[in-house]
Amino acid sequence: MAQDIVAEESIAVPRRKPLRLILDNPVVLKELRGRMRGARAFTVLTVYLLLLGAFSSLIYVAVAESAMSVSGQVNIGQIGRTLFAGVVAIEMLLVSFIAPAFTAGAISGEREHQTYDLLRTTLLPARSLVLGKLLAAILYVLLLLLAAIPLQSIAFFFGGVAETEVILSFVILLATALLFSTIGIYFSTRTRRTLSASVLTYATATFVTFGLPIIVGSLVVVFGMSLSGVQSPRTEMVLLYALGLVLCTNPAATALLTQYVLINQRTIGVFSYTLSSGEKITLISPWIPFTILYVLLTIVFFFLSVRRAKAVEE
Amino acid sequence: MASEENIIETHGLVKRYGKLTAVNNLSLRVPRGAIYGFVGPNGAGKTTTMRILTTLITPTAGEAFVARYSVTQNPREVRRAIGYMPDFFGVYDDMKVWEYLDFFAACYEIPERDRPRLVADLLALVDLTHRRDDMVEKLSRGMKQRLSLARTLAHDPEVLILDEPASGLDPRARIEIRELLVEMARMGKTIFFSSHILADVAEICTHLGIIESGQMVAQGTVEEIRRQLMPTRQITVTLLDRIDEAKEAMMHIEGVTGIEDLPEERGRKRIRVDFAGDDSGVTLLLQALSSRGIPVVNFSEETRDLEAVFMRATKGIVS
Repeated sequence: MAQDIVAEESIAVPRRKPLRLILDNPVVLKELRGRMRGARAFTVLTVYLLLLGAFSSLIYVAVAESAMSVSGQVNIGQIGRTLFAGVVAIEMLLVSFIAPAFTAGAISGEREHQTYDLLRTTLLPARSLVLGKLLAAILYVLLLLLAAIPLQSIAFFFGGVAETEVILSFVILLATALLFSTIGIYFSTRTRRTLSASVLTYATATFVTFGLPIIVGSLVVVFGMSLSGVQSPRTEMVLLYALGLVLCTNPAATALLTQYVLINQRTIGVFSYTLSSGEKITLISPWIPFTILYVLLTIVFFFLSVRRAKAVEE
Repeated sequence: MASEENIIETHGLVKRYGKLTAVNNLSLRVPRGAIYGFVGPNGAGKTTTMRILTTLITPTAGEAFVARYSVTQNPREVRRAIGYMPDFFGVYDDMKVWEYLDFFAACYEIPERDRPRLVADLLALVDLTHRRDDMVEKLSRGMKQRLSLARTLAHDPEVLILDEPASGLDPRARIEIRELLVEMARMGKTIFFSSHILADVAEICTHLGIIESGQMVAQGTVEEIRRQLMPTRQITVTLLDRIDEAKEAMMHIEGVTGIEDLPEERGRKRIRVDFAGDDSGVTLLLQALSSRGIPVVNFSEETRDLEAVFMRATKGIVS
């Protein structure tokens, strides 16, 4: 008798394990079933790893050559670092463009398949739909990132790279994938067709990864020249913070600067920087503001997407 | 607001898209347990009405209740009460038949441990057990439609709202769907379905609603609608001769509203009598003829089929 009561209670209280959160979302289950079926998932993974492998080999050949030719001494650490940076760079490129490819069709694809109305008449909340689509995309990107870790780790053979860098690169890549996937979903809820959602998402991704650095770079060149003569410590500080903040919107710049800070300042947190006037100011390793910014933007776009998905036609 | 016995009820429902009025002051009453045929020409506003009832669009004016819940105030309760099948089949690539049902069952918050049995039961009901592991997109149109019907039953809803369930099907699949609808009504479901073909509706419906240009032309039980739209019975009398005498005899009987000549058929003379009486009145007509010794070859009441009712009710105007 007592056992019966206990059993009933355990049924009534829903289990709240994080894994259940994923598995109990019908959309995640459906998306993953569909995605991992057949040859497609396998092909994407294979092509991705082949590309990555081929690129790493190229870097190795190029870097090994140049590292040896410098004064006959071999700088093995340099090989490792360059190899690692190369792999992360190509991963970043792939993640920036693969992640949105999975999500740009998330809602518009349901509309195109005429299944959106079916879903909206079920009890599935818009929140679960968007979250499910996002989780399914992120889980696959996670698989791609994990699959590339052995390639990244080749750099360990040569030294010059520590686990800290591997973990930090992983965080930056994941944050990038998160935001770009969510932007993909957002555009997917805004447009009727997947094509327009893809175009808008890729335009945004291209702007953030390439457009922004080019603009910032040109601005720095122009203003740097005009301001280099006349500069109070205050203006220099403001400019430095502004520039840093803008650079933190770009994953590649963030990764490079974070590694630079790690090597030169030996920190992944706060460090002090000496201005040309001799004054010292405090700076933060860029991966921290970058991750905070990307996670915040992800949350904003997530809620915007949910609001759009929830909207009833007038 | 909504009364007990009506599971679907709307009051002065209006839906406007800019200048176009898709649904105009529609008041719908679907009694619990009915098989309600919602009939009208294409573009009459059937789909719009159904999309309002399924919480997919909001009405411009008026109120709609399903299972006593307002579609605008309590959409979640309404969704729990309805099983909706749109006039198209939503296909997922990369999905097996059982996964399709399992997914929608999960969307209706049916616990994972109950789903395998539910899916098996649903597949058996629509006779698709043998296609359980096939891809959804490989199914024939009729099978997809049956799978859709199974999906609408996943959460054991009170009402099924089916938009053109038989459209585009071959005759055999059409009959299968019709039998399934009857079966579901036997299971205690109220069925509210639309069609632009009256023949689909006529055989299984208990109730009818005829809509045109967004307005309800007639509504009620099938018999009520017949009476409402065709108040007179039409009786065709075939005579050998003495046609004027026959007319004269019947003219004065109470309930006769008109007599007209019909074209001769193989030398036989025929007249049609419009009659607004009951069965005993009809016998009086025949008696009047035979008491005067007028030879009657044939005396029959025209079956007023629903097609005729429909043609009479709708003028074929589609706004």
